[in-house]
Parts: sequence; C-alpha cells; structure tokens
Amino acid sequence: MISSSARPSLPLASRRRRFSLTKGASLAFSLLALLTLAGLVLIFLLQSLPVWRHEGVGYLTGIKWFYRAELFGALPMIYGTLIVAFIALLLAAPIGISAALFTAEIVPGRVRLIWKILVELLAGVPSVVYGLLGILYLRNWVYHLLTPFDPLSGDTLLTAGLLLAVMILPTVMTLSDDALRGVPAAQRHAARGLGLTRAETALGLTLPQALPGIGAALLLGLGRAFGETIAVFLVVGRQDNQPLAWRSLIEAGQTLTSKLGGSETNIASGDSLHWGAMVGLGLILLATTVVLTLLGSRLAQPRNIHAA
Amino acid sequence: MLFVRLQSPRLLKAASEFCASNALFTAQFHNPLLQPLPINYQPNEMKISASLFALFAIASFAQADVLKINGSTTVNLPAAEGAEILRAEKKMDIQVDTQGGSSGGISALGDGQVQIGMSSKPVSDDDRAKYPNVKFNPIHIGEDAVAMIVSKDVWDGGLKALAKQQIQDLYEGKIKNWKEVSGPDEQVVFFNKEPGRGTWEVFAHWAYGDPKKAPQVSLPEVGGNEETRNKVGSTRGAISQLSSSWADGKKVFALGIKTESGDVLQPTPDNIATHKYPMSRPLFLITNGEPQGEAKVFVDFMLSPQGQELVKKHGYLALDQLKTGTP
Repeated sequence: MISSSARPSLPLASRRRRFSLTKGASLAFSLLALLTLAGLVLIFLLQSLPVWRHEGVGYLTGIKWFYRAELFGALPMIYGTLIVAFIALLLAAPIGISAALFTAEIVPGRVRLIWKILVELLAGVPSVVYGLLGILYLRNWVYHLLTPFDPLSGDTLLTAGLLLAVMILPTVMTLSDDALRGVPAAQRHAARGLGLTRAETALGLTLPQALPGIGAALLLGLGRAFGETIAVFLVVGRQDNQPLAWRSLIEAGQTLTSKLGGSETNIASGDSLHWGAMVGLGLILLATTVVLTLLGSRLAQPRNIHAA
Repeated sequence: MLFVRLQSPRLLKAASEFCASNALFTAQFHNPLLQPLPINYQPNEMKISASLFALFAIASFAQADVLKINGSTTVNLPAAEGAEILRAEKKMDIQVDTQGGSSGGISALGDGQVQIGMSSKPVSDDDRAKYPNVKFNPIHIGEDAVAMIVSKDVWDGGLKALAKQQIQDLYEGKIKNWKEVSGPDEQVVFFNKEPGRGTWEVFAHWAYGDPKKAPQVSLPEVGGNEETRNKVGSTRGAISQLSSSWADGKKVFALGIKTESGDVLQPTPDNIATHKYPMSRPLFLITNGEPQGEAKVFVDFMLSPQGQELVKKHGYLALDQLKTGTP
C-alpha cells in the first residue's frame, strides 16, 4: 500500500540549473526577512545598552521597578510572563492533545476537515476580541470563584493564564492533529490487522510516534502565550513589583508584554536609560521566543524516516 | 533616520508581537511533519513570480493620503464622531486611534506619525524638550474634569466625598479599608490610571503639585476610560480617577472633593466652568505648527458650532460655556 504522505521522489538538486525569476525574487525576499530580524536584534541590543550598563545582571534579577528612582528590575515581569504562559500550557495541553487524538483517530475524514477549518478560524480571531471577552466575562467569573480567598479584584495572573489557555488551544489542537495524522496510515492498518483496538492503536502506536510533533505544537503554543499582548494586558491587572509568591497567582501582576503595551513607553521615549529598560524587556521577550522556536523546530525534525 | 523611527513605542510593541506570530509562522512552514506537501507538487513559476511582484507593487503604493489622529480616550469621543461626519460629508480619509492616551498622542505627533494629537492635559515643558523640532500647537476645544470615582458598594456604604489628604493616603496605600474614612467595611482597591494618561497627570498635579513629585506606587493600572469604568464598576471597594462625564451614576459614582474649609465641591458643569472644582482640565487637539490641509479642515470643524455640539453631547463643556476665558 502506498502511503499518502510519501515524499516526491525527484530530488530538487537534479533539476536543471537556470536563472529563475521566482528563485531570484524569493531569495531577495527571504534575505529581506533575515536582514529585518538581524537589524531588529541589533537595534534592540544597541538601544538597551544603557540599562545593562546601569543595572548589570541586576536588570534580570532585580525585583524593584521605579523608573523615576532609576530602579529597573525586570524579574517580576519575567516571572509573570512565565507563570501566565505555564498556566495556559498546563490547561491547553491535555485538552488540546485529547481533542487531537479524537479527531485524528476516531472522527471520519470529512468531519475532521470541517472541524479543522473551524479551529483554525478560532486561532485567527484577533486577540483584542479575546481580551474584551476576558474583561466582560472571565475576570468577573474568576472574581466570584476566588471569593473565599478574598481577592482584590478579578484581574489576576490566573485570569490571564486562563484566557491564554483558550487562545492557544486552537494552535495546540490543530498542530497536534497534524502530527498525529503524519503517522503513516499503513502502520495504523497493520496495528488494526494485528487485532489491536482503536484505543490501543492510538495510545500505543500513533501517540508515541507523534510525540515530537506534539512537543513542537506545545512549544509553539507557549511561544504564542509569551508574546500575546493585548488580551493579557486587559486582564492581568498591570501591577508592578509584585512579590514572587504563590499568593501572587490570585493577585494582579505584570508581564513583559503588558508592560510594553502600556503608556510607560511614551514616558520613556527620549530618556535613554528608561527607554533602554523598555527596549531591554523587548529583547528578553525576543530571546525567549527565539529559543522556544528553535526548540520547537528541533523537536519537529523527524527522527524516524518512516514517521515522515 | 532609522534610529529616530525606531524610537517609537508603537514600533517596539509591534516588534514584540512580531516575535510571537513569527514563531508560529516559521515553524508551520519549515516543518515537514506538520505540513506535508502533496505528491505531485509542481509550482507554477510564472504564477508565483507574478504574485510576488504584484504584492511588492501593492505594498509600495498602498500609502494613501490619510489624516491620522491619536491620543486621549476622553477627547476621542467627540473627535471620532466628528471624523465620522467628515468622512461621510467630505469623503475625507481619517483614522482616529487611542494608543497610549494623551502622552501617546503627544509622542505620536512628536514622531510625525500623526498630524493631530488628542490630549486631555496641557503639553508640558518636558514634552517640548523631548521633541525640540516640533512646534506643539495646542488647540483648546472644550473642558472636562477628573473625578475620583468609586464602585456602587462604596457609594451605597455612605461615602460621598473625600478630602485631598484622604485621597493621598488611599493612593499611597496608607488607608486599606474604607471604614477608616467612614465608608463601608470593605478593602480598598485602587485602580491607578496609567502614568502618562492625561487623567493621571491632572490627578497627580492636583494631589502633589507636580506629577514628578507624586510618590511612585505599585497599584494595579487601568488605561482607557471604558476599561476604567468597567473594572471599577465590577469590583467591590474600587476607586479610580476618571473623566467626570464618564461617571454614569449607575455603576460608578463621582465623589465630591472636601475643601479645607469644609465645603464639598462636585464636578458639576458650573463648578468646572468656573474652575471651582479643582481637577478641571482643558481638552486639546494638538498640531505641529498651524494646522494645514486636511488637519485644518478637521480642527475648524471641531471649533465650529456643529463640532462644539459634539463636545457638549459627550458631557464635556464647550468653549462658550466657559466663564473664565482660557485656563
């Protein structure tokens, strides 16, 4: 039986070499993208120099941010970003993977396609829409839910994490589904032929083979969670200098993106140290996402030739 | 030149958002597992190169003549409606945005990203020093006031007015429960308007004499007026600073200010017009030098009777209602 996902047998290198407008233009555009990224990193580095000089490593480990006293410690924001993203992943991973197992292994093809289109539409909903829904419903819901713990308001790191979970769920679902479908049908048929049940096939054969792809899906979800700005901005509370304690989960906090999204960038522009501190936050964010993306692409490389 | 442009807060934000979308984008494309190519994938070279060039052409010609306006959410209400009318009547292309509030409007004007900035605070000397090449020209279009607003439970608990000292103590976290100022037994939740917003500047100016002298506090922050009203209205024991005309008296309530002599001043139109109410403030459209072209059309419209009617409609005072000339 021929697998539907077999690679084209014609190697690219054997094609005749000739000048191609498409190749030239594509190359130029890809170079442009690369240059943009390189320029971005360079400018971020250069512009954030003042704060690195002023604070040193304390910029990453300091817990006080008072710009008029020239104190710039980004740790509470790094902490907020990590906590919020991990809450989101913790919730989205089990739901997303289970849903992907269901669609990839159980639901018939046409239903799966419709489902995928709908989920991908969900992934394309602008984040400000999620943010407004968060303001209207989620934060009130969290506020009532947390009443026994006496929260100050419904704007908490937990609320932001919950909202992000909803936002990254489509990404996790659809990419996990792709990873599961990437396992050749032949293996599935063989497993069924050997008498394994559907559940045994899914859990014992497909899931382990698709794990690297699912890992990539989770990392990409995490990447989106890290970078998400406006939705988090609206429900996280934007309170600086929160202590790094468990209690902070149900208190207002600040993330890297919510800080950058606020009005402080306007105050900072013109003052090279303060501006450097804001740009530095962008640099930290950029570095985190780059690392995650690299890890994600690494995981997605097929280890087993048959799995492709 | 490149550096000047990248100094803009908006670009910084765009760049940080870029990271996230970029991660998803590249991974989906470089990922054979996730996006298997169809078996007989034969790209049509002509089509692809044609579309690439079409894209390029569109990108380079897409910049049309648009009147861009950015700034205060307070000024935005009449300005956005004025823009709506001009769009319909004069077929003008106008974009009104509220990125970053008043200081966002001032810096967007300073960076040359917009032709008109909206502000609910005067342009400060610091702003002028930051953009020495820009001739900030504030055009007074109306008057408004900043009120201290509280949630319904605080209002119903009997708190109707506060003195300056009490407001300072609330702001600095020295008062943690409303009963300390003879309100209900409820913890205080101070939603601070973001520093940089016109509302916050006016508040800090009144409470501490100079925004720079205001103590730096770490409070949960709110941005636009709608967000402020919504969050205060849905949180027990909440207080914040908000444009008085946004205090609807249903979800959020404007407190009076107790003076040293014991009088209570409410942010009523009369008290704002005479500047008796202490946190009265002018509303501005700001241009770089004298307004020209489309910007002039817009400014003239907002100063016309029809435009001034819009200012009144949203609860602010029009210029002819002011009793003391320019503030």
